Amino acid sequence: MTLARTSLVLALLATAAPAVVHAQDLITRNRVGPADAENALTFRLTAFDLYSADQATAEAFEKMFTDFILANPGWRIDTQLQTGAIAQEQARIIEQTRAGRGPDCAMIDSSQLATFKEAGLLAPMTPFFSQEEIDDLFPFVRDGVTDENGDIVALWWFTDLRVLYRDKSLVPDAPQIWSELQDAALAAVEQGREGVLFNAGRDEASAFDWLAHFWAQGGELVDEEGRPVFFEDENREKFLTAVQFYADLVESGAAPRRVTALSSYDDLLASAAAGSTGMFIGGNWMYGQIQNTMPPEQAANWAVSELPGPTEDARATGTGGWTIAALTDDPAKVEICAGIARLYAGPGNAFQRLLPTSASLYEAYEEFAGPEFEVFAGALQNGRARPGVPIYPEISSQIQILLGNVLSGAATPEAALDAAAAEVMAAFERL
Amino acid sequence: MTRPARRARPATRLTSGALPWLLPALLMLGMFYLYPIAEALRLAFTDARLFDQSTSFSLASIAGVAGSATLGTILRNTLVYTVASVLGQLALGLFIALLVVRAERARLRGTLVLRTIVLAAWVIPAIANGIIWQLLLSEAPFGAINSALRLIGVSPVAWLSDPANAMTSAVIATIWQGTAYSMILLYAALKSIDPVLYEAAAIDDATAMERFWFITLPHMRPALLVNAILIKIMTLNMFDTILSLTGGGPGRATEVLSLFAYNTVFQSFELGRGAALAMLLLLISLLLTAALILLLPRGRR
Repeated sequence: MTLARTSLVLALLATAAPAVVHAQDLITRNRVGPADAENALTFRLTAFDLYSADQATAEAFEKMFTDFILANPGWRIDTQLQTGAIAQEQARIIEQTRAGRGPDCAMIDSSQLATFKEAGLLAPMTPFFSQEEIDDLFPFVRDGVTDENGDIVALWWFTDLRVLYRDKSLVPDAPQIWSELQDAALAAVEQGREGVLFNAGRDEASAFDWLAHFWAQGGELVDEEGRPVFFEDENREKFLTAVQFYADLVESGAAPRRVTALSSYDDLLASAAAGSTGMFIGGNWMYGQIQNTMPPEQAANWAVSELPGPTEDARATGTGGWTIAALTDDPAKVEICAGIARLYAGPGNAFQRLLPTSASLYEAYEEFAGPEFEVFAGALQNGRARPGVPIYPEISSQIQILLGNVLSGAATPEAALDAAAAEVMAAFERL
Repeated sequence: MTRPARRARPATRLTSGALPWLLPALLMLGMFYLYPIAEALRLAFTDARLFDQSTSFSLASIAGVAGSATLGTILRNTLVYTVASVLGQLALGLFIALLVVRAERARLRGTLVLRTIVLAAWVIPAIANGIIWQLLLSEAPFGAINSALRLIGVSPVAWLSDPANAMTSAVIATIWQGTAYSMILLYAALKSIDPVLYEAAAIDDATAMERFWFITLPHMRPALLVNAILIKIMTLNMFDTILSLTGGGPGRATEVLSLFAYNTVFQSFELGRGAALAMLLLLISLLLTAALILLLPRGRR
């Protein structure tokens, strides 16, 4: 009996072993699929999923990719990692694609998608998505991934947004308007904390986080032709009002002056973890980080809410995220690339609890059932993506400089805006 | 009677000209140093953008850089940062080198450890150096240096958020890393000074300051100038420490020429203007180097 059972186990192991070995062989540091596959597609990805330092994430994506490649026999995906230097990496992809050495399929930061579209490097993916899938995309996402011919040229596989985090033990009720935020921050300062933190250093995050306050008033950075208009007429007033909102927070002591040296969400998280701040403006993904990095009783104190606006009805939040696009003319490769994008948008998002860009995906996965996702879904209604125009990087750069100058007291909002407008228009003329 | 044909000796043939010997080095230098410079020079005379294939030759990039309202601020930042960093690295490097030599003469233990500790800063990548100092100078309630200041009753300092202090912080981070290189060069120069000179000075009852002023400094002059040239070049090109420490902010308070060129190419994607700025950086570096070489004793140039 024992011998028979042992024989059975050995027989099962002998049967399963090749499969296990085979599965391991399918994923290497630079390849998914059999090395001798008939067809190969190069895929440039970030290091946060298949090659994540987090073992659980890497294993989950290894399984997804194994299933994917087994469902696409004859194919191999040659993987290429991008570093964290996003601007340089994206520039490299463009240069290499132009020289005929680029990847067939790549992850593209949504902030850079307009540049890729402008360069005319993205292959239409419309035939590989159903009309139902396209209609299900959030409007700002659909606009972002559609080119001038009406083709879908990328799948925006997850989005993100900016929200207000608060320590409920200090700020029980979510501030709904700017003045409430300032009052709540000052109350936190009286308790020995920093009131509210936000990025205002030299980084795109600073400009994008702040833009929510400009957009909440209905401000526009560019007109329909893509010409910068943020410094003209009503936009100028709205722009200055949003700058003054930040300046008031700093001058009143509701926010420390050190915000001009903050340019990373990690710095905000560190302050929250250290218990030194009452509130901060961060990204939705930080909710999971708070749960994972803080002791449960401390994490339970942190709540998330929509960014306050000038009035309760006037809200906005910047929405970013990443896309996957094809940079090849080969339709077979474009189809595989679309399949990879769908893989990330569905099960990939669900595992990482990132925000899908299709309404139906929130229903399809139970991972999106938490109360925080109700807040995120509500805030997404007021989501604003970066304008898909080539001048945006320069506008962002000038906003970063402006915020630093105004909040450090080196310039008045008006003078800083005039200087920013002059630089942006000079750059626009050179486009 | 015919004269036998002269046969050139192989040794003579090989040494008849320097070119064959220099050719491999010239080829390497040409490929990896001169060609990129020539390419940058060519781009400076174009309106090239990183993502735009239609490029034409023009003076627009150079004229645009020359007429930029920002350039004055950037050059002022570069001057302050470079002068302060170079002087700091020279002074501190000389101080540590003197300390080590003095300790060795006194046969004190630990000089090797001291040199190794100083060198450790040098091997840290510049980008990591910026991150380390960002953590140390953090103005958060838990920032290391401000916490130490609080312990001794000193008010915390706005190291990175105050425009004036931010430049000081960038200089401190650069000096901290660059001092080791300066120390190595000056230590070697100090060791080469004939000890007999100091013995003679001791017989004459010269004070330590007199020995330093009349023996050490004059003999160190060539080493100090060569050191200044090398450190100046490294500091002018330095942008990664500032990038990770302040990003050039607040505003443009710490944006130096090399960082401005980097931002122009990788943030604004203006390749032509970035190349023009790189050429300006090269020109400044060459002029300063020439000026420092003129200060060298004639035989050392």
